[in-house]
Amino acid sequence: MGKIAQLHRLLETKKISCKELTEAYLRAIEADNKALNAYVRITPDTALQAACAVDKKIAAGEAICLLEGIPMTLKDNISTRGMETACCSRILQGYVPIYDAFVWQELKARNAVLLGKANMDEFAMGSTCENSCYGGAKNPRNLTHVSGGSSGGAASAVGGNLAVYGLGSDTGGSIRQPASFCGLVGLKPTYGAVSRFGLVAFASSLDQIGPITQDAEDAAIVFDAISGKDPQDSTSCGSEEPAVPGLSKSLSGLRVGIAEEYFEGIRGDVKASLEQAISVFREMGAELVPVGLPSIRYALPVYYILACAEASSNLGRYDGIRYGYQAAGYSSIHDMICRTRSEGFGAEVKRRILLGTYVLSSGYYDAYYKKAQKLRGAVIQDFTEAFSRCDMILAPTVPMTAFESGSAGQRDAVETYLTDICTVPVNIAGIPAVSVPCGLDGEGLPIGMQLIGNHFRERTILNAARQYEEATGRVWIRSAEMGVKL
Amino acid sequence: MITREEILDLAVLAKLFVSEEELDALTEEMSNIISFADTINNAGTEAEFDGINRLSNVFREDVPAPSYPQEEILRNAGGGEDGFFLVRRRG
Repeated sequence: MGKIAQLHRLLETKKISCKELTEAYLRAIEADNKALNAYVRITPDTALQAACAVDKKIAAGEAICLLEGIPMTLKDNISTRGMETACCSRILQGYVPIYDAFVWQELKARNAVLLGKANMDEFAMGSTCENSCYGGAKNPRNLTHVSGGSSGGAASAVGGNLAVYGLGSDTGGSIRQPASFCGLVGLKPTYGAVSRFGLVAFASSLDQIGPITQDAEDAAIVFDAISGKDPQDSTSCGSEEPAVPGLSKSLSGLRVGIAEEYFEGIRGDVKASLEQAISVFREMGAELVPVGLPSIRYALPVYYILACAEASSNLGRYDGIRYGYQAAGYSSIHDMICRTRSEGFGAEVKRRILLGTYVLSSGYYDAYYKKAQKLRGAVIQDFTEAFSRCDMILAPTVPMTAFESGSAGQRDAVETYLTDICTVPVNIAGIPAVSVPCGLDGEGLPIGMQLIGNHFRERTILNAARQYEEATGRVWIRSAEMGVKL
Repeated sequence: MITREEILDLAVLAKLFVSEEELDALTEEMSNIISFADTINNAGTEAEFDGINRLSNVFREDVPAPSYPQEEILRNAGGGEDGFFLVRRRG
């Protein structure tokens, strides 16, 4: 049984009140957040208010749903009405949204207990969480290492038992990579399955919100709650089938695609763990099918061209006039906007805005943006062809394990971007993928594998993840020695 | 390759100031990233991108509904003035 169902049972049978549970999490945050830096804002009043509402329902004998009263966190780019949402950027300091993101509307309606907002790389741009204006979040499995990015705070909180689950956003791997680094499950849903309304935009054709949890069952429960068609997001179409009812299907006859392109340049120990995982799938009766994905060799440059182009346009809205930070001294409106943006954005964000401006500028548009769009079509074609021969593709999530904190200076930008090589193809194709823990390296740092599905096949990949967890005796689902113990 | 001058031009388009100290490092980093992006030139493809997930444009019914209160919107801009955003004259 997953953690959500366990806690739900404790609440329902009155073994613990929701107020007691919430207070336990708030105390743990008080004790451990200094070390983890997972939360950038803690919201005890909101949390306790929701907890009291749940306790009242239980006392009145009313039924509660699975997510009711479960303590959780939201990445700092998910809008919360009346509660600061800053994307961990100086430019959004003090910005208080006047509406809730769709996902938070859904969870709030289920009396979710929001403990606070989680740390992230500024505007979700980064792979270490160290681009946050509040400093990076630490990896609960080893505090000298990063939690990954960009949803590093949510992964740090869930891995450190300071939240049961977290919602992150994934534009090029920002849910799956930190989940992999922290030994957690992270789901990037199909593009359009979850509404982006209220998610502060980075690259609108790639962004998706999804859960970070301790196991596959919890990810399925949260996915079912947050997916759905939303008229507030014209690209939203909802999910085709709920994931939870499909979680006990045998994998016998499941065709698992293996693409050698995903295994090029992967560190030896990561590759060895993946090979072991593949043999577990074979033992469970899955059929291994070789598939070719030649275009994903270009996925990383394609991703950086498209994501930066979209970001340079999306981030044009930060002008210091309507919300957020405004520079103190200026001589004209142009000077005010330039100063505000130069002082408000961090180095990585500025670099990506400049790159995006470059690839969209006259003379370069055809060679970069237009060509990248064509190659996006080629990546989609490759996956379509692969999924005509298999039900799911198994691949590494990240070619390595978590970096040491503060080691960013030892890598140049391109080396850092290479971290995303296995995660970006999924965003380019708009398909779902879940990262599942499948091993440890020599230092005890988690290794993750990615189960990739065809459009709207969250049920297939979450069931496969769940069956893998059971077949391996849930050996890779390990809690860090901190936070709330059940 | 990208030159210092090109970066300064881009900065004007992107409404960013780039200081002399930032410029050298930025030129080097951007050059590296652009050379990396140039690898797509080696890729030949006849494919076209025609959207994700077979999504087509969706129009919702145009039904009048109350919008967000003006005062709430302006609260993030220090309250504004007479219902307008306000940029104070400085300098």
